[in-house]
Amino acid sequence: MADHAPHSATPESFEVRILRQDGPGQPSYWERHRVNYEPDMNVISVLQKIAARPVTADGKKVTPVAWDCNCLEEVCGACTMVVNGRVRQSCSAIVDRLLEEQPDGIELQPMTKFPVIRDLMVDRSRLFRALTKIQGWVGVDGYYDLGPGPKQSQAAQELRYPLSECMSCGCCLDACPQYGKIELEQREGESEADFERRKSAAYDRSFIGAHAISQVVYFNADPIGKMTAANRLDALTAEGGIQVCGNAQNCVAVCPKSIPLTTSIARAGRAATIHRIKRFFDR
Amino acid sequence: MTDATSSFWGRHEFLIRRLHSLTGLIPVGAYMVVHLVTNASVLDGPGKFQAAVYQIHTLGAVLPLVEWVFIFLPIIFHGVIGLFITAEMLPNNASYGYTSNFRYTMQRVTGLIAFAFIAYHVFHMHGWFHAEWWHENVSGRLGGANFRPYNAASSAALALQSPIALLIYVVGVLACVYHLANGLWSMGVTWGLWTTPNAMRRALTGCAAFGILLAVVSMGSLYGMYTVKIDEARETEARMMEARLRDGLITQEEVNIKSAPADNHTNAAADDAAESTKF
Repeated sequence: MADHAPHSATPESFEVRILRQDGPGQPSYWERHRVNYEPDMNVISVLQKIAARPVTADGKKVTPVAWDCNCLEEVCGACTMVVNGRVRQSCSAIVDRLLEEQPDGIELQPMTKFPVIRDLMVDRSRLFRALTKIQGWVGVDGYYDLGPGPKQSQAAQELRYPLSECMSCGCCLDACPQYGKIELEQREGESEADFERRKSAAYDRSFIGAHAISQVVYFNADPIGKMTAANRLDALTAEGGIQVCGNAQNCVAVCPKSIPLTTSIARAGRAATIHRIKRFFDR
Repeated sequence: MTDATSSFWGRHEFLIRRLHSLTGLIPVGAYMVVHLVTNASVLDGPGKFQAAVYQIHTLGAVLPLVEWVFIFLPIIFHGVIGLFITAEMLPNNASYGYTSNFRYTMQRVTGLIAFAFIAYHVFHMHGWFHAEWWHENVSGRLGGANFRPYNAASSAALALQSPIALLIYVVGVLACVYHLANGLWSMGVTWGLWTTPNAMRRALTGCAAFGILLAVVSMGSLYGMYTVKIDEARETEARMMEARLRDGLITQEEVNIKSAPADNHTNAAADDAAESTKF
C-alpha cells in the first residue's frame, strides 16, 4: 500500500474554523469543528464530513455548513473560498499541504468581495455582469449560414489559449485591493426586476476587475471578435473600467489557472489608450 | 455606461486617471528631478547653486506663470486626484504578502507623505503666497517663507538647521523619490509599455536603479544644503548680488524682495546688499 502521509507526525484529528453566516445581511460568527484526519483529504471532503456530523468542537449540534461545489477538479470555480487567509478553490486545497502551512488547523471563510448567501456560499453575479458589460462573446449567430470563420495564426492561438482557461472563479477579484464589495438589499416594495436593474447599475459603475479585462484581450484577439473590438474597449474605458487598476498584481499571483492577467491588463491598457485617442480625434 | 445618474467623475474617469498617471511623470516627476539635481549643485559650493537660481530667475515676470502652469497646477491636480484614488484602496498586505502588493500600498502611503511634505515644504520655503500682508501676518509668523532667491544657499541652509525640519525633509524627499520611481514602473504597465512579466521585471530593475540614484542625489543635496557655511555663503552671495546689480541684470527693488534680511549671520557686504530690505 502506498504511503501517502509523508510525516510520522500526522495528527489524529485537526481543527477547522469556519466563518459562518445564516443569511444575507446577517452577522457572521466563527465556529470551531474537529475533524478526524484521513489521508488525501481536501477541503471539500472536510466539509462533507462536517455535513455528515454537524457538531462543533464544543459538542453543540448545529446546522450543516453550506458551501458550493461542482466539478471537483478546479475547472468550474464554484467552490472558491478563502482558505487559510488566501482565496482559492476548496477542491484543490489539499489538507496535508494546508496543515504543513498552518499546523494548528484550517480556517475557512467565504469570499470577501461578494455578498454572502449563506456560510461559505456567495453571490458572484457581479462577476458575470462584468462579462456582459464587455460583451464577452463572439457574434457568430445569424439568420443564415455565415460560412467557416477566418483562420487563426499559430501566434494568435498561443496568445489566446491561456486566456481561454479562465473559469470566472473570482480569485483575482477577491485578492484585488482596488475591488470593493458591493452588497445591495432589496427595498420594501421593490420588484425583483427593479432590484436586478439597480444591482446591475451599481456593478457597472464599480471596478470591472482583472478577469473581464483579460476577456477583452481574449475576444479582441479573435478574428471575428475583432469586428466588435471597439465596443469592448468602450466598455473597458467606461466608469469602473481598466483605469481603476492600481497594479498591485495580486490577481496574477492568486490565479489558479496561471493566466497572465497582468500582461492582459498592460495590453488592454495600451489598446484602451489608443482607442480613446482615436475616438477623440475621429469625432 | 452612460446612464443619466453617473457623476462627472464617472463620465470622465478614464481621462482623469490617465491624466493623473501622465502628470506624475510630465511635468511633476520631470520637475522633481530637475529640482533635486539643481539643489545638488550646492555640493559644488553655494556660488554654483546661487548661479542656478539666478538662471531660473532670469525668467523674471514670466516665472510665476511658468510655475503655475508647469509646476503648481499639475502638482495640485496630481495630489488631489491621488487623494481620491488613495481613499478607495483596500489594502490586504497581511493576507497577500507579495512584493508588488507591498509596493502598491507603499505607493499610496508615500503619496500621502509626499502630499503633506510638499505642502509643508512650499510653506516652509516660500510661505505659499508672496503677498506682503500674508507674509507679515501668516507665513512669516508661522516660520514659513524662509527661502531668499538671492541668498539661496544661506537662507535654505538656515531653514534646515532645525533637526525637526531636517528630519521632515529626509522622510519627505525619500517618500517623493519612491513615489516617482515606483510610479514610473506602474505607469509603464498602465500605458502598456511593458506587458510581459519579464519586461516588467526588467523595468522594475531599471526603475529601482533610477530611484536609488535619485535618492543619492536628493540626500546629497540635503547634506550639501545642511552643511553650507552660512557666513561664507553670504559673502559669495553678496558678491554675486553686487555684480549683478552693477551690470543691471537685477534691480535694487528685486534685491529688497529676494534677499535675506539683515541678521546676526550677515557680514558687512551682505549688510550693504540687504540694507533696505523691508519685510
